[in-house]
Amino acid sequence: MPSSPTFTATIEKIIERTPDTRSFFLRVANGRKLSFVPGQFLSFLLPAGGETLTRAYTIASLPGEEDCFEICLNQVDGGPGSSYLFSRKEADVLCFTGPWGNFVLDQPTDAEYIFIADRVGVVPFRPMIARLLTAGGHHTARLLYAAPQAGDLLYTDEWQRWEGQYAYFSFRPLIAECEPEEYSIEKGLLPYVEQHFVKGVRQYSRRFYICGIGRPVLLLRDLLRGAGYERQAVKYEKW
Amino acid sequence: MAKLHISFENGNPEQVVEFDPSQAPFHHDGEPGSILDILLGHGVELEHACGGNCACTTCHVIVTQGMAHLTENEEEEDDMLDKAPGLVSTSRLGCQAVMAEGEVKIRIPRHTINQQV
Ligand SMILES: Cc1cc2nc3c(=O)[nH]c(=O)nc-3n(C[C@H](O)[C@H](O)[C@H](O)COP(=O)(O)OP(=O)(O)OC[C@H]3O[C@@H](n4cnc5c(N)ncnc54)[C@H](O)[C@@H]3O)c2cc1C
Ligand code: FES
Repeated sequence: MPSSPTFTATIEKIIERTPDTRSFFLRVANGRKLSFVPGQFLSFLLPAGGETLTRAYTIASLPGEEDCFEICLNQVDGGPGSSYLFSRKEADVLCFTGPWGNFVLDQPTDAEYIFIADRVGVVPFRPMIARLLTAGGHHTARLLYAAPQAGDLLYTDEWQRWEGQYAYFSFRPLIAECEPEEYSIEKGLLPYVEQHFVKGVRQYSRRFYICGIGRPVLLLRDLLRGAGYERQAVKYEKW
Repeated sequence: MAKLHISFENGNPEQVVEFDPSQAPFHHDGEPGSILDILLGHGVELEHACGGNCACTTCHVIVTQGMAHLTENEEEEDDMLDKAPGLVSTSRLGCQAVMAEGEVKIRIPRHTINQQV
């Protein structure tokens, strides 16, 4: 068991966001509020298959939503942690530690912020972008969001609403138009990043935040750092 | 057989784990054969908030002997270690450093926490 304090939370509501992705709204026991920095995650202790698994899930809630917070995850084929969570029902109880993690916004600068999301890896960007847009200072921010199909995109209404509301925020979905099994970042995201931020680039003041699943995240990191962006300017979280 | 000696800055008694590296993985978190995997598989607790995915620094350990018996750091581990409290030149992430032979001594720092709130 972890040595850090463990909390319990009740599942208040479950909503299906896409056929394989659900949001769980959790209320911490004893009226505790969850104070977190946008981008941080919770570490869930899941009693699956006779063992206690440790699985990280990012806090999807907007800053200030501390009473009843959200995690959003997809079911991974044969994955014991996500399958356990997908078998939970409203009123069930979950144990977790945290919040944890350093994949958070730096002190805002005048730099342009580029958020690069591969599929469900968009989750940390919801609170991060909300924080950036409401922080004052009119930070230019772009969200590049890749998925196999348009129907896989999460929180689309919100990205579009923010785009209408904040002139300095733009949302660019990059749809591969393929089945999930055939999906790769080469089908849209990687060429887009290459064309807009690598080829012929002359200004290196941008700050990149990349989040997604597995090796593609490292591929994007290497592409950008290889193009001359500073190490600290290319932050990433690989799930 | 390989040997991993563990001392704790919080004063817990030292422990020694003897293991056959060819039997890895010993648990289900972290790289197979990593310090985290070896410890958890032999009943020694090490915090691992991100599940051994190189996304936090809670499994930070300090190697005091036998660094050559561990796999080399990759860029991902270095990027994460940058944020570890109490970082020293022989710091490693327990979930990433794989031990395939020999004798290694590690110290588990008192502060492995990177909670920011
Ligand atoms: C810091 C951090 C934050 C995370 N936040 C989220 C989150 O908000 N939402 C979320 O869905 N997952 C998130 N994850 C991934 C999550 O912790 C689990 O790894 C995931 O649910 C798979 O666990 P499992 O036991 O079902 O499958 P396992 O058998 O443990 O499968 C692991 C494999 O699945 C891959 N994988 C990890 N996440 C996904 C995914 N979402 N879809 C497809 N493959 C995946 C891994 O790269 C690995 O190859 C996060 C991971 C980290 C390290
Ligand atoms: S357990 Fe999180 S980095 Fe090792």
